[in-house]
Amino acid sequence: MENKSPIIEIKGLYKSFGKDKDVLKGVNIHVKKGENLVILGKSGSGKSITIKCLVRLVEADRGEIKVFGTDLSKLDNDELNVIRLRIGFLFQNGALYDSMTVRENLGFPLQRHRAEFTESQVNLAIEETLESVGLSEAIDKMPSELSGGMRKRVGLARTLILKPEILLYDEPTTGLDTITSREISELIISIQKKYKTTSIIITHDMACAKFTSNRIVILRDGLVYTEGTYETLEKSEDEWVRSFFI
Amino acid sequence: MVIEIKNTFDGIGEFVLFIFRFFKELFKPPLELREFVKQCYVIGYKSLPLVAITGFIMGLVLTLQSRPTLAEFGAESWLPGMVALSLIREIAPVITALICAGKVSSGIGAELGSMKVTEQIDAMEVSAINPFKYLVVTRILASTLMIPLLVVFADGIGILGGFVGYNIHSELNIVRYNSLVFETLGFVDIFPATIKTFFFGFFIGTIGCFMGFTASNGTESVGKAANSAVVYASLAIFIIDMLAVQLTDLIF
Amino acid sequence: MKKDVGFRWKLGMFVTAGILFFAVTIYFVGKQKNLFGSTFHLKSHFKTVSGLKIGNNVRFSGINIGTVDAIEMISDTSVMVDLIIEKSAQPFIKTDAKVGISSDGLMGEKVLVISPGTFTFKSVKDNDILTSKNAIEMEDLMLSMKKSIDNVALISDNLAQFSYKVNNGDGALSKMISDEQFSSTLQSTLVNLQNSSNEFAKFTESMNSGKGALSKLVTDEKFGKTLDSTMMNLKTGTKGLNETIDAAQNSILLKGYFKKKEKAAKQIEIKKANALKKKNTTIIKSDSTKRLLTPKDSIQ
Ligand SMILES: Nc1ncnc2c1ncn2[C@@H]1O[C@H](COP(=O)(O)OP(=O)(O)O)[C@@H](O)[C@H]1O
Ligand SMILES: [Mg+2]
Repeated sequence: MENKSPIIEIKGLYKSFGKDKDVLKGVNIHVKKGENLVILGKSGSGKSITIKCLVRLVEADRGEIKVFGTDLSKLDNDELNVIRLRIGFLFQNGALYDSMTVRENLGFPLQRHRAEFTESQVNLAIEETLESVGLSEAIDKMPSELSGGMRKRVGLARTLILKPEILLYDEPTTGLDTITSREISELIISIQKKYKTTSIIITHDMACAKFTSNRIVILRDGLVYTEGTYETLEKSEDEWVRSFFI
Repeated sequence: MVIEIKNTFDGIGEFVLFIFRFFKELFKPPLELREFVKQCYVIGYKSLPLVAITGFIMGLVLTLQSRPTLAEFGAESWLPGMVALSLIREIAPVITALICAGKVSSGIGAELGSMKVTEQIDAMEVSAINPFKYLVVTRILASTLMIPLLVVFADGIGILGGFVGYNIHSELNIVRYNSLVFETLGFVDIFPATIKTFFFGFFIGTIGCFMGFTASNGTESVGKAANSAVVYASLAIFIIDMLAVQLTDLIF
Repeated sequence: MKKDVGFRWKLGMFVTAGILFFAVTIYFVGKQKNLFGSTFHLKSHFKTVSGLKIGNNVRFSGINIGTVDAIEMISDTSVMVDLIIEKSAQPFIKTDAKVGISSDGLMGEKVLVISPGTFTFKSVKDNDILTSKNAIEMEDLMLSMKKSIDNVALISDNLAQFSYKVNNGDGALSKMISDEQFSSTLQSTLVNLQNSSNEFAKFTESMNSGKGALSKLVTDEKFGKTLDSTMMNLKTGTKGLNETIDAAQNSILLKGYFKKKEKAAKQIEIKKANALKKKNTTIIKSDSTKRLLTPKDSIQ
């Protein structure tokens, strides 16, 4: 695992909103295949922006982003979509489509990108994926009927259904109770084992970080402040870094 | 002050680009047919009761209000034709469009705004589904086609309302009423008004989508999107109406 | 995804009803304007169309049967009007039907009215030309109105003069009305007239019943008979005298005397004839000069 070439390479990433609002000022991050990278940082430090740049939801001002060895900035829309399909993105609150049931939410990407599937194949894939996040009973519910934890699981199932190679989690445990948070963290690990994915996890939840991370990156003032394993950073001499682990 | 003016023009520019993008995406296959049909249902069929009630009341009120003046000249027999004419040319299109600005445009604004805020649009984009095609093109198209249809209903029901209003004070059977209406109507009254409604529909859809689709993150922006959708759509309706009248005057 | 079916039929109904309604409206408006349905054309020439416009109604027996399709200037005094008429009205319009322009009410539009022809004539065919009745132009109306107003003015003028003369002049009528002396004279004249007529009455009365000669002349039968026989005697007396003169003419002794008398009478007669001839020629001459002076009269 350690010797493999990086599957995600971010070099000198700059992003600003307006003149005085420089959010990212040259971020460098590498993620190897099969790795679980946790990104820490204060609220508004640009963590979400960083992973949105990975799927070009946000266009970087400067810098190089390579995913699967391809430079994203040089791709046209169709080529980009091919890359996007290999990446799963779990949004903060699941981002379920309000007007659709859970089944339709999961079926929607399938129907687009697996047009060759028969109806029974579609149903099988939906049921299977829902089972892997432990929500088989919610299949015909509307998103508004689901709790926060369930929404996140359904959101995760929706990204998993296309069998992505990279998973990006934006605060997967925020707003959940400790027990549910723990369940989600376990889910992340079990999925990583089952689907053999590489993950980037943004979180403020240190229990989750401890449970899921192979490596941690801490952002500060638009730059990577420090990086290391959970254990090394916990014992860091820097007081600011240690303040995360209290 | 200068910044405000600049921002206004910036907004207009963004809106124009949005329209360009609509036409670009419109002719790029495939069309999201299922979503389009669903939006036709939501925008058209679901607005019908509201439009029908307003149409009926407009016809009734217009008849009752115009009656005394016409009766003074002994020209009561002109009442059905006059009411039908004002309904078809002006009142039904504008009132229906305004109702739809309130219902459809703000609905689209709020829906897309909340989708934007809860990152549903981003989620679509990330799963390689073009949200502009799926959400915007279908809604604008549905609105462009359904509003004229709603106006047709408003015309018909409004004329019926006029019939009821006429019969409050004097008696006339529906056949004679109809012939009085149709004697007055010409194609000049119908076609420009109908063409106008397509523009109403287009801008109702476009402004709603624009406001929702470009909403900034944060929950309060959903309300803002819905609100500005109504305001700007209503304004657009009056501007289009003015231009249409001038154009019709010029041509006919 | 199968749930879609639930609303689809409602949408279908909505769209179908809307389009159908629109189509029906278009159809009826079109029918009103004769754009659809089977029609045929008629033409007519007018001196003036009095503001008739394309699209105005055409009426036959008070029913709208078509519209004006085209109005075309043919020459400075002729305008051709093309009518589009419902086919169903064709059998009822005869070839001698006349087309006129009138107004639909005081404020109304112009309408073309086809007045029915005679039953015995044939029905019109497509593109037939019907004769037109000239519309009563407002101008014409005004013109004739002006004439009568002028006449009235003239009459009243004369009347004014007449009454002025009556009031201020010296004529008999004026005197009769204004002069007191005249009227008293007139009165005395009338009184005299009455007196004399009274006298006359008495005279005729006495004549009818009286015994005077005049009365007898008029009334007595015997006297009349005597007068008759006297006249008879007088007749026979002159007859006898004539015979005696004839006999005297034929006698040889008196022949020469009578011949002389005859010659003189002849000469006088010739002179008279010559004079008459001269008179005739001058009359003919004056006639011809009269003709030369007034050639119009001779043409008329
Ligand atoms: N569309 C945007 N326009 C302007 N500023 C933005 C936009 N998106 C994010 N930002 C700003 O960028 C900064 C970083 O945002 P984000 O990456 O979401 O923070 P976090 O690290 O908490 O996820 C924030 O200060 C936010 O205000
Ligand atoms: Mg964030």
